[in-house]
Amino acid sequence: MRKQLPPEMLARDARFVRTSIMDQIMDPRNQKIAERNTGSAKLEPGRPAAGDRARNLMHGIFTGEIQALEGAGRTTFDFDETEAPFALKLDMARQCWDEARHVEISIKLGDWMGTEIGEFSEATFLYEAACAPDPVLRLCGVNRALEGLAIDVFNTMKEFGDVSGDPVLEFCEDWMLADEVTHVKMGSDWLRRLTADDPERRERALEFQKTVDKLFSLGGFRGETDDNPIHLARKLRQMAGFTTTEIDEIADLAAQAQADAQAAVEAAGSA
Amino acid sequence: MSDPFKPRPAFAPWDRRELPGLFDVEESARRVGTYKWIEMRLFEALGGWVATVPELDVKMILGRHCYHHAWHAELFDKRLPELREMNTERLCAPANDAMAEFVEALREPEAPEHTIEKLVGVYRVLAPRKIAAYTFHMNATSKITDAPTERSLEFILQDELNDWREGEMLLQSLIDTPDELERAMRRQQELEAIVLRAGGITGPGTIGVTPEIEGAGV
Repeated sequence: MRKQLPPEMLARDARFVRTSIMDQIMDPRNQKIAERNTGSAKLEPGRPAAGDRARNLMHGIFTGEIQALEGAGRTTFDFDETEAPFALKLDMARQCWDEARHVEISIKLGDWMGTEIGEFSEATFLYEAACAPDPVLRLCGVNRALEGLAIDVFNTMKEFGDVSGDPVLEFCEDWMLADEVTHVKMGSDWLRRLTADDPERRERALEFQKTVDKLFSLGGFRGETDDNPIHLARKLRQMAGFTTTEIDEIADLAAQAQADAQAAVEAAGSA
Repeated sequence: MSDPFKPRPAFAPWDRRELPGLFDVEESARRVGTYKWIEMRLFEALGGWVATVPELDVKMILGRHCYHHAWHAELFDKRLPELREMNTERLCAPANDAMAEFVEALREPEAPEHTIEKLVGVYRVLAPRKIAAYTFHMNATSKITDAPTERSLEFILQDELNDWREGEMLLQSLIDTPDELERAMRRQQELEAIVLRAGGITGPGTIGVTPEIEGAGV
């Protein structure tokens, strides 16, 4: 088996349909949808198609969990112990089990919500962040940026479960949130340990995290206004080791990503 | 009311543990080092394979089992300094060249069509070999002086037996045709041939069949 498995080689059964994240963001239908003034973008039971949106999001969580499992697994294999210490590999193996459980939970939740595997498409963006050649970059891109995003998403879904009267959804998201806080903290701890004597490497890793954070704010999907379906879970992020300054930076990146995406869509519309 | 000061036997009547064991400190450490090495190579392989298997149930089970073997490696790693091996990397090595060759062959399949080959290597060759080696260690070592190793092996064997059963059931559910059966048998034979040359996961004597141990008594 080779080291460094490219995203196009991720193995899936015949039910899965792959798409690119840019295709999803730049889908011209998004502009039409945005023109509909339906009020807050927040995931609320009263909104039109709230059920479908929740099912779509749940399927996105499901495919994201598969890729998180695959990414953690690859980190146990791709590096020798000079690059990734034994204790880091143990943490990644532990994360494999956690992500495998999340896949199990997501499948059962999807079924509970009336969704079939493959009903929505899969983009491989999470796994792509797990392909960085430096394990520290992987930890920043996946554990700090994407697992951080998972905290925001799960918290939103938990709240949706609460307001829509779905105790099963709320219960499961709460459990997954506990694991995600652990994974983010794991990423922060290893970032500090592995770059203690190498500030340049730390800087590169944090830059990579910023890129991932901006990209996966998904053009306004995440933010802190009513236009954003997913809200930054500040309290939980603090629990996971993010400072207030770091959370403010993510909020700024998210706002910037939203402005960039709007400009790109408008430019495409006028072209 | 019984007299709490009345002398009692130091060992309860049902405690039949004996002091002697077949391993001295060095031999127990050597074996534990090879166990750690094999568990590490295994959890890395399972972690790496997760992305390469299309079957969703297999993917999730490999993710779970990956952690089990990492935990086993961690238990062995913690035991090594207690066996006077302060450099835990020194003994974390294959028992011999054939074992290194075996692990390389075990981890070689990658293509998504080769799930059977991947699982046969783990659940029909390596898992039974590990169970045999760990069971022999438990039976052969002193149950008093090497009790910490024995306790870890007890927990580990519970995992191994559960995972072996689950892996075997996965294989039975995947092998549907005579061609797939042939593939599984061929793969098992290829890998068994290497591990046979190695003499087991800790080398010759893995399960006690060596001239020295044969002469040690009944």
